Amino acid sequence: MTINLSVIDFILISPAVALFLASLLPLSLKAFRPNRETQPTTVILWALVGLVASGGMAIANFGVSQTAFEKALVFDGLSSWSSILIVVSTAFGLLLAKESLATNTKQFSELVFLILNAAAGMMLVAWSNDLIMLFIGIEVMSLCLYLAVALSLEQRLAKEAAFKYFVLGSFASAIFLYGVAFIFGTSGNTFLLELSEVGSELISTNRLFLFGVVMVVVGLAFKVSIFPFHDWTPDVYQGSATPVTAFMAAGVKVAVFVSFLRVMATQILNGERAEDLIFALEWLTVLTMLAGNIAAILQSSVKRMLAYSSVAHSGYVLMGVLAAGVGEQGELGASGVLYYVLGYAVMTLGSFGVLSMFEKNEGTDLEVTDLKGLASRYPIAALCLSLLLLSLAGIPPTVGFFGKFFLFSAALKQGFFWVAVWGVLSSAISVYYYLRPIVYMYMAEGEPLQAPAGRQLSKIVVTVCAILVVVVGLISNPVYDAIRKSVAGMF
Amino acid sequence: MLLTTLVFLPLFMAGVLLLVPNEKVLKPMALGFALVEFVLSLALFLRFDPGLAGLQLVERSAWIRSAGIGYFLGIDGISLWLVLLTTFLTPITILGAWSAITKKVKAFLIAMLVLETTMLGTFVAMDAILFYTFFEASLLPMYFIIGIWGGERRIYATLKFFIYTMVGSLFMLLGIIALMFYAQDQLGYMSASLVDFYKLQIPFVAGEFLSTQTLLFFAFSLAFAIKVPVFPFHTWLPDAHVEAPTPGSVILAGVMLKMGTYGLLRFSIPMFPEAASYFAWIFLLIGVVGIIYGALVAMVQPDIKKLVAYSSVSHMGYVVLGLFAFNAYGISGGLYQMLNHGISTGALFLLVGMIYERTHSREIARYGGLASAAPIFTILFMIITLSSIAVPMTNGFVGEFFILLGTFMSAKGYALFAVTGVVLGAAYMLWMVKRVFFGEKGELVKKYESHGLDVNWREILVMAPLVVLVFWMGLFPNQFLRWSKASIDHLVENRLTYELPVVGVPSNPSSYVVQRAASASKAGE
Repeated sequence: MTINLSVIDFILISPAVALFLASLLPLSLKAFRPNRETQPTTVILWALVGLVASGGMAIANFGVSQTAFEKALVFDGLSSWSSILIVVSTAFGLLLAKESLATNTKQFSELVFLILNAAAGMMLVAWSNDLIMLFIGIEVMSLCLYLAVALSLEQRLAKEAAFKYFVLGSFASAIFLYGVAFIFGTSGNTFLLELSEVGSELISTNRLFLFGVVMVVVGLAFKVSIFPFHDWTPDVYQGSATPVTAFMAAGVKVAVFVSFLRVMATQILNGERAEDLIFALEWLTVLTMLAGNIAAILQSSVKRMLAYSSVAHSGYVLMGVLAAGVGEQGELGASGVLYYVLGYAVMTLGSFGVLSMFEKNEGTDLEVTDLKGLASRYPIAALCLSLLLLSLAGIPPTVGFFGKFFLFSAALKQGFFWVAVWGVLSSAISVYYYLRPIVYMYMAEGEPLQAPAGRQLSKIVVTVCAILVVVVGLISNPVYDAIRKSVAGMF
Repeated sequence: MLLTTLVFLPLFMAGVLLLVPNEKVLKPMALGFALVEFVLSLALFLRFDPGLAGLQLVERSAWIRSAGIGYFLGIDGISLWLVLLTTFLTPITILGAWSAITKKVKAFLIAMLVLETTMLGTFVAMDAILFYTFFEASLLPMYFIIGIWGGERRIYATLKFFIYTMVGSLFMLLGIIALMFYAQDQLGYMSASLVDFYKLQIPFVAGEFLSTQTLLFFAFSLAFAIKVPVFPFHTWLPDAHVEAPTPGSVILAGVMLKMGTYGLLRFSIPMFPEAASYFAWIFLLIGVVGIIYGALVAMVQPDIKKLVAYSSVSHMGYVVLGLFAFNAYGISGGLYQMLNHGISTGALFLLVGMIYERTHSREIARYGGLASAAPIFTILFMIITLSSIAVPMTNGFVGEFFILLGTFMSAKGYALFAVTGVVLGAAYMLWMVKRVFFGEKGELVKKYESHGLDVNWREILVMAPLVVLVFWMGLFPNQFLRWSKASIDHLVENRLTYELPVVGVPSNPSSYVVQRAASASKAGE
């Protein structure tokens, strides 16, 4: 077997390479000057240079549609969008991290190294055409994240979170790999694009193939915390330093849901005997939405509440994934999913950003009641958090509303009527807990908490996210059209 | 551009208020803005042609092209008066809140103006998604108005208000999406415009709940029934009203409840004509139950404001009854009653607020003999009471008379029961008036008499336009109804095959729809 590598391949993966190279710089600076901590500002500047380069390359690659490295990676509209989203999430996450007490420590260069590499891993996940490549991407991403979670200065919760995430995550990876083995054994290849030619037939004729697919789906479902694989989410989100949580919540969802879409694009759900799988996925969707939203109501910590809400949002997106996999017009579901994760990334980064702004020391969670009277002392931060929460709740005209609109449309179009009704019911439940922080910020009396001085970068990030949430919502047309055009041909 | 200006001017003005640093000029500025808005809305009379049934002053451009969602505004005889009601009540409310709102004045005025934009948008939006956007967005300012400036249990009340309304409207969202796909199937292009929705033929199977048209009809009607609110869904209303500050109650009762009945008239009845006819009995029934139940519960309320709140349930029951009578009398009576209710209940809330500011209590039992302590206030209150209980020569009479007439023509049995509401209405209002204003002087009146309980010049100025309208609308109903007649007649005559022609725009679908159709057929290949 000869290996053909062309220059174009290397240009195509340049966004990930740029992140990797940029991640080495701060770490080697530290290695060459032992015991001298590099200024966080310098570190972050290097990282931003890498991110800008990576984002630039990703934009330059827009409109490409081809595979690279012997079909291991595929570059199409989905890839470009997810690269850009991952770069933006990473940049926002790092800016927040620079100012957070839990991360701005003597190990800051290590943290930046880990985050940048996690981002590179996410890109691999989103680009993979080969299931083995997808596994490597997931591992790169996850290993970096386990460490990044553990690096938080906080002693107890962060270590617990990292350990929990590591153990459960490893299990999920193993299950995923097990599934890949079955798929390879029955179909003879691991390339998603080639599986799409035989997938719908194999799933009806071969039980072992179906088993493999189920295992792969379970592995992916774990990463995006689909019920019943969601139990790690609140603990890990709570235990990690808030900026890491923000980055993790946004980036992992973008990457894994994109690869979920790629798995669905193999037409496996259109096979004759796929009804059971569809049925199971429908129930997972419904239960994920309900479990996330109902559990979120019971939380008093804002961070845990947002963690459970992220479970619920995974449920909404899974509805779109399902719609993308079934029937003829999958692109409606796929573009809904992409639009939603775009909106979700912005909303999550922003709302965790607000929390990070107000955290006094590592390890103390903000309770919902701590927010009382916030609007009188920090009107802009309160307004931003309100907009972000309203968008998470799906109130028009924010991006969250249009995201839900596109997802529900896709689900109704493909005939998932009851799933959409449950989606509607559970988002009605969610309104309650999203409004609670707003109630405390604006309506409760009390001495508002004092934010630590400075943190200008966090303020900028939060404001930008809040503005984006409204603007992308109001002018959703160009964004949605661009997304739709880029996923067209895929399904 | 008139409608766009009308809708977004208050939002722009709210932005201007945000930049004003001087606390003292805020209220006069906001009042001035609201008056400018009202005067601007009077320009509608110059541009609107009452002889035409179609949609006028249309503005249309694409918003989300690929889903056929447009920025589509238009006005017809049905929405014309609701727009004017909104622009009319807003300055009155701001002037009425002059001394009631003392903290966070700027935020309050901004909320009021934003609320005005969303309410106007709801009434003139002719695209379902645009309508939904305004309909939902209008919850937010009201949520803050109740939650920040409300009474003790304000947070409970405002959450209840928000979540109740939200639950209903989410089902409407599913309904809208379903209709958009129907448009794609039947018209060849995806569209969220109401004009296109009216053209759809939605399959209806009588007696089967799970048939498409029935489900859609209930998905929409539930949202509006909660908003109105009709009988079994009304429990949020008394809470919201009791806790809301006076201006909040006025706008909530005066305008926001009408979004529900407007929705029934604009969506449920013409879009799903077979289901609406088949299930009309449900709405007639809950209308009648609402009338009687609201009146009976109002009778035993110890709190004046709660009494007025329950009287709203009763009055809105009339509106629903009129709309589902499906004839010109019923529907024009329903429309008229929406305006009456906005004026008389709004005025009642203002009056209750005025006396509450002075005595800090709304308990009926602690009043008594107010008439001699506050004669002008008593006169104003009496006039509004008469309007509320529909005494001839006041606006209330015209509305209730038309509604009962219309119901008698189409559904006699319901009308017989509804008539008792007229008696009950008089009973609870007059009994309350008797206990508050006449008889021995109560403890509150004795205590505060020396402080001066009567209204001041500002408050007279607030009430004057309302009192004038009570008689104007009562004596010359035709001056008001003639503007809506064409639209209502058009709806009644063509109810089963309703279509809304667009006036002043060539009859072929506007350009973006054509483009969309072309791209859709391309995708189909």
